[in-house]
Amino acid sequence: MITLITSSVVFSQEMFLKSNLDGLSIDVGEVFEPSTYVESEDGKITTCPNLIYYNKNGALNWDDGISVNRRRGTIRGEKPGKHKVIALCIGLTDSRLSRDFDVTVNYAKAKELSVSLNTEKVYVGSYVPLSYKITDDYGFTRYDANIKIKSDNNLVAIDDLNNVKAINPGKTKLIISLDDVETSISFNIIKNPIEQLSLTSNMSTARTGDVVTFNAKAYDKKNKLISDSPIIYSYSGESFDKSNTASALINENGKFVAETAGKYLITATAGQRSSSTPLIVYDRGIQREIVNVGSGTVEERHTSDFWVFEGVDGGDYAVSGTWGADGTTYFWDVTNPGQLKRIDSIKVDARTVNDVKVSADGKISVISREGASSRKNGILILDVTNPSEVNILSEYTKNLTGGVHNVFIYENHIYALSAGQRFYVINIDDPKNPYEVGMFEIGEEGQAIHDVWVEDGIAYTSNWKHGVYMVDVGNGIAGGSPSNPMVISNYSYESGAHHATFPFKSKSTGKFYTVLGDEIFPQGIDVYTTNETAGFLHFVDFSDLNNPVEVARYELPGHGSHNYWIEDDVLYVAMYTGGVRIVDISGELMGDLFRQGREIGHINTGNPNGYIPNATMTWGAQLYKGHVFYSDHNGGIGSSKVLPIKPDNSRINEYLTRPRIID
Amino acid sequence: MARYIFLLLSFNICFSQQYNLYVASESDDTVSVLKFDGESIVETDRITVGIMPTEIEGPHGITIDPEGEHWYLSLAHGSPNGYLVKYSTDNNEPLSRLELGLFPATMQISPTTGLLYVVNFNLHGLMKTSTVSVVDPLYMVEVTKIKTGIMPHGSRISKDGKYHYSVAMMSGELFEIDAMDLSVNRILSLDNNNNLRNAMHHSKIKPTWVTPGPENDYVYVAGNGSDEILKVDLNKWKITDRIQTGKGPYNLEVSPNGKYLLASIKGEGKTGVWMLDDLSFVKNIDNSGSVSHGIVISPDSKYAFISLEGIGGDPGIVDVISLDRLKVVSSVEVGKQAGGIAFWKMED
Repeated sequence: MITLITSSVVFSQEMFLKSNLDGLSIDVGEVFEPSTYVESEDGKITTCPNLIYYNKNGALNWDDGISVNRRRGTIRGEKPGKHKVIALCIGLTDSRLSRDFDVTVNYAKAKELSVSLNTEKVYVGSYVPLSYKITDDYGFTRYDANIKIKSDNNLVAIDDLNNVKAINPGKTKLIISLDDVETSISFNIIKNPIEQLSLTSNMSTARTGDVVTFNAKAYDKKNKLISDSPIIYSYSGESFDKSNTASALINENGKFVAETAGKYLITATAGQRSSSTPLIVYDRGIQREIVNVGSGTVEERHTSDFWVFEGVDGGDYAVSGTWGADGTTYFWDVTNPGQLKRIDSIKVDARTVNDVKVSADGKISVISREGASSRKNGILILDVTNPSEVNILSEYTKNLTGGVHNVFIYENHIYALSAGQRFYVINIDDPKNPYEVGMFEIGEEGQAIHDVWVEDGIAYTSNWKHGVYMVDVGNGIAGGSPSNPMVISNYSYESGAHHATFPFKSKSTGKFYTVLGDEIFPQGIDVYTTNETAGFLHFVDFSDLNNPVEVARYELPGHGSHNYWIEDDVLYVAMYTGGVRIVDISGELMGDLFRQGREIGHINTGNPNGYIPNATMTWGAQLYKGHVFYSDHNGGIGSSKVLPIKPDNSRINEYLTRPRIID
Repeated sequence: MARYIFLLLSFNICFSQQYNLYVASESDDTVSVLKFDGESIVETDRITVGIMPTEIEGPHGITIDPEGEHWYLSLAHGSPNGYLVKYSTDNNEPLSRLELGLFPATMQISPTTGLLYVVNFNLHGLMKTSTVSVVDPLYMVEVTKIKTGIMPHGSRISKDGKYHYSVAMMSGELFEIDAMDLSVNRILSLDNNNNLRNAMHHSKIKPTWVTPGPENDYVYVAGNGSDEILKVDLNKWKITDRIQTGKGPYNLEVSPNGKYLLASIKGEGKTGVWMLDDLSFVKNIDNSGSVSHGIVISPDSKYAFISLEGIGGDPGIVDVISLDRLKVVSSVEVGKQAGGIAFWKMED
């Protein structure tokens, strides 16, 4: 009995891991062999039978600052910074025996320091635009370095934040140093030669959202034009609305756009010279009355995507999918937009029919499948020549078993996403016997595709963090075809939330944009309330395919973007909880389109009889023969009309004078 | 008589067990918490999981740590990689998330190493060699990825916690991983296809599950494609027995007392029962729905809990099979396509 108790005391002692990893500091590329052992409270040292090392940097991040060679039991510094290495001892105790150690991987000393001047001329009185790049011995760019700048004379003033201001004319030399590396740059500070600045614009009055181009010209005292003078544009202003403030954007090229109506003063500055000119900006005034015309309620399931089309009989029809349900697809007669009639449905082995499309001739529909019990999802090709009696022509699953999230039909080919990684091109010359003719993937690690849209022989694929890829599938610009898709161009952006693309050729300007939509649920899923949505539309000027430039955004505060449609320079966008927003995107685009008062109107798509009543969650929108059709995740489909008249707000107060209900 | 009834009731109250478990519903993005009192199984909570409300992210595998404090869920689909999510069993709130490979699926925590081993099933990707991710569940850090075969599934740990077993569905292989040094120990081609190791050859056996026996001597493999169960001798490292099953055996489980081997017969909506010692057939039990998927057996070996996927709009179902009576004694509806199932705890 005594022996048993003694034994228990011995083995219940706490054990600790000790290692020469503690406080370790290594260089990039240095290989270190840790020596780790177990020590009990009484100081007894034991060897751990199995030791595993790995690195850690918070719960959600993969830290590649240190690599571990498990076979050799060594660690290697990969990237400078502070890292944690975990040592886990297995097999010695019943409970977990591990410890994490702070390991510093040192920045190597600066090896190369370069500085560049971002202007051709430096005038007295101006700040000197400088850029620095520091590279260390291992080739890493350093961002933490506290460089030192000094001048060889008193022609410049250098503040604590290393801003350099030209004070007096003459040649000056800046010496920039870090560690043992030093570099220098010399430039001339010249007396401002500008005697006169003129500032003109292409408009004297404008509306909010109109992009006004200001052009400053500098002249010397001989009235000679100075073509290369550095000009900075700025503005001040006063809003007409006393409860608001003037708000606008002006860029380095003198492009100005106002968000609020008011009086603005635009100023061009070159050194100590400046010139200003006023601009009156009026409210854009494009709001229009929008009326709800009809609704096609889906009360038994969530609704997904939809498509409105002209049938072979000349009537107008729609198809809509369902989500998280039983694989049902509905067909509607929408010839009378005021009476949307459900005329047929089909049910397939799936839980979600996420996307539906119809061929341009109104004969063939394709629906996508997710959640098939066989786990062979794929697509179904339907005969919709009689939308009241839809027939399944074929099922196609080859390479599409992982669930098809989105599809498109273009010139007798179906473009179908596969497992969110690539798209396949399927020939449907004979829709009963579809066959694969091509495949496209971007070929990046972690490639993920969410949508494909085809227009003019170009497939626009939306690839989350890898952005939009324009792919030639028959246009010819890059020699592509359905069987040989070829990349034309690519553009991606920081958030990595790229979900859908719509190509947009501006009728008013002739410019070509791709409009890239986000999909973001910032709080994930909240089952207790309406889900918070976020994200916006990015307007990317693709007029030069090799140099796409993001110029504008449409962001509705508090609501996130989903699917959309553009026609005649008007955007119809489903903003999930924000309904359908109808936005004027005519003219040159720059800045924040929502704040510029470009919204024509909006439609709350919540349906009182829907699957979740009155809970607007707009999935998609489509302009069709003058009516705005939409699908709502919680309500079904519907139609609305934008009227030519402006909203009549004169009746708003009638509710104040309505007799009170006395109970 | 009244005293006798009172005594009976008292006995029942004093000794009735509560069985608690979790089941994941892959096409509803929900996890149900279930309680069975020996007579009736009920759903006590349904947790919505995932990140994107308008995308089905496919919760597939679920496991609970040996202490019963956390449950871990694999989400099959992301952009494109799936995730492992850690939840508290106290309040079923998510605590942490870790990106893994394509379609992370079944998993288990070794009681010996404390590490979680999850297969990256990559069910719908190109036929490429995939991996088993090893995760430190405390910090939710992926320690390493171990290459195995094509479409690995059925991640299970030996009773001594020292070995991890999985099968590769398309390359038809059984893998033994040393759970201590995190490397592949042995590979067995179930199709006798040793010349084409790790090659995609559409395995005829199409193994979908492996489970160890109560001693560290055998593992049992579900041959989903060949409609059989294979018994693999771990000492000889070869198949020593095979038995025919109904269509499409999918998951397997050995009762903790070592008496029975159970298999979900996916294609028939049945649960097959065999005596473990000689693999003699006992019974096929009709499930309450279609597409039988997961199996878990209570630690007292009294009950088996079977998840049923259903088809289309069918709800998922969890059947309770009494292993004394060999029949379904209770069922409960859960979210669509019920799959991964994990036993949490027994309570008095």
